[in-house]
Amino acid sequence: MDQPAIETRGLSHAYGTVVALHDVDLRIPPGRVGLVGANGAGKTTLIRILLGMLTPTRGAAEVFGLDTRTHELEVRARVGYMPEGNCLPPDQTAADFLIYAAALGGLPSRAARQRASDVLTLVGLEEERFRPLGGFSTGMKQRTKLAQAIVHDPELVFLDEPTAGLDPEGRDEMLELISRLGSFGIDVLVSSHVLGDIERTCDWVVMLEGGRVLRSGPLASLVDVDTVEIDLIDDPEPLMTVLAAAGAEVERSGTRLVVTADGKDPFLLVRDALADTGTGIRSMGPRSTSLEDVFLAVEGSR
Amino acid sequence: MTVRRGVVYDLGYVRYDGPRLGRRGAVTATVRDGVFRILGFRRKARHKILPFFLLALAVLPAVAFVGFSFLLSNFAPDAESPFGGHAEYFSLIGTTVLLFVALAAPELLIPDRRYGVLSVYSSRPLLPDDYVWARFGSLLAVLSLFLLVPQFLMYVGFSALTGETLMGELIARAGEIPKIVLTAAVYALAYAPPAFLVAAYAKRKAVASGVYLAVMLVGMGLVAGIVQATVLPGHRFAALAALIEHPNYVRDWIYGRSATQELIVSQAGFAPWVSAVMIVTVAGVSLLLVLRRYRRSM
Repeated sequence: MDQPAIETRGLSHAYGTVVALHDVDLRIPPGRVGLVGANGAGKTTLIRILLGMLTPTRGAAEVFGLDTRTHELEVRARVGYMPEGNCLPPDQTAADFLIYAAALGGLPSRAARQRASDVLTLVGLEEERFRPLGGFSTGMKQRTKLAQAIVHDPELVFLDEPTAGLDPEGRDEMLELISRLGSFGIDVLVSSHVLGDIERTCDWVVMLEGGRVLRSGPLASLVDVDTVEIDLIDDPEPLMTVLAAAGAEVERSGTRLVVTADGKDPFLLVRDALADTGTGIRSMGPRSTSLEDVFLAVEGSR
Repeated sequence: MTVRRGVVYDLGYVRYDGPRLGRRGAVTATVRDGVFRILGFRRKARHKILPFFLLALAVLPAVAFVGFSFLLSNFAPDAESPFGGHAEYFSLIGTTVLLFVALAAPELLIPDRRYGVLSVYSSRPLLPDDYVWARFGSLLAVLSLFLLVPQFLMYVGFSALTGETLMGELIARAGEIPKIVLTAAVYALAYAPPAFLVAAYAKRKAVASGVYLAVMLVGMGLVAGIVQATVLPGHRFAALAALIEHPNYVRDWIYGRSATQELIVSQAGFAPWVSAVMIVTVAGVSLLLVLRRYRRSM
């Protein structure tokens, strides 16, 4: 990894006696990064420290190589933030609020007006721009919150639970928008307790639990396609015997077998075993390990 | 025949590569938003009614005084004239200014906290102190409309009526300007910081306005009662809590007028400089407490 977008060293934070983050060491590359963890895992605390809003009890955090304790203004000039909670004044129109949010990000008045208009169009709120925010639905509010986070064109945007409270359609739209941010050249750190959302939008995952880092790495390395699932018509026993002899690990559930092979391609082993035994199959395909599987496995092993 | 068709280009997301104003731009935006918010701009018409009604109450008497002085050929803007002079005008609009501050300070601070907008400020190149000073600057900017505009209308109007030439009279009466500005600053410093303090801790705008007015107006009645009725030693020091009276006492000092015995602080035997010190102390402590509050919550 060249220059990491985010780096923390021995980062700890406590609210009184409650430890929110404990000795967190991270090196996160630019791109779309998912911060996964249950409620209270320390996701929001980590984001607030990265924004310079909280001073860590111990350790250090850097964004673009800038220490968030001593260079918080430089960091904030280059990032955006979509908070989990409400941040929208109900008596302002979407356009006015976005213009203000852009100006707060340091854009001159004329550029702020132009950017506000462009970004409202981008998030699909161009028709609603002159409506007061108090009358917006939850989905529209979430899109407005995302718009204020990117209206000043940051290099990195922190999204704290961006799909919270959204219906399935709204969630889809929000995840689509988040996925597109990467193509705009904006790095994203998105926190969520919904693993599926992270799988859909991110290419790097940080798993937090109880203020500690469980895993941090590329999504692809965590959710490998390394398993074959077969549904059999015939008796599974002969096939299981051959596979076991070939060094595969087989789990049986009725007529379904899940085959893994450490260091070998499970597809080739299954193909050969099927040919040897002449077993008939209904279906056969890869079984990907979901982020949820990884999370549960790592959590279970602790 | 060729039919010309328009072409729509999807430009997608366009990166911004223009100038960035950083902290200075963020502070300027916060001040401007504060001024707009107080005056009800960019909001529904009903939000504009009260501030502009109070502004009219503060400014229109000055216009009327100049007009009537012209009609009555009374060109002397001093205490002896039927309408009083610059010093008297500060008393005349004192309650209006107090009401305006009671409404404006909560409007500046409370909605940002109540609706979570502080988290937006916290993610921009703006420190908590910047936010507080910018909001306070908004209040002072609008207060200057109340305190200075009518005074300068009178200054220019009376100069136009009395002198041979307007410019000559403006120069001859230029000594009024420092007194006007200084007295306006005294009123602003006496009224605005306590209102800011209450608004920084109250959750509702109406509660903040009510508490502030109670402290400033009802509190004065209590203080007067204590000063006059109590026989306890040191009871006269209660007069120092009559916050609303200090600017009047200092104003008389600035204009070189003998202290009126109507003022409780004067009755209690304090010199005007004590009132000046009280104004500065209350303002300083109030603003420090507001800063402390926002350093913790932003």
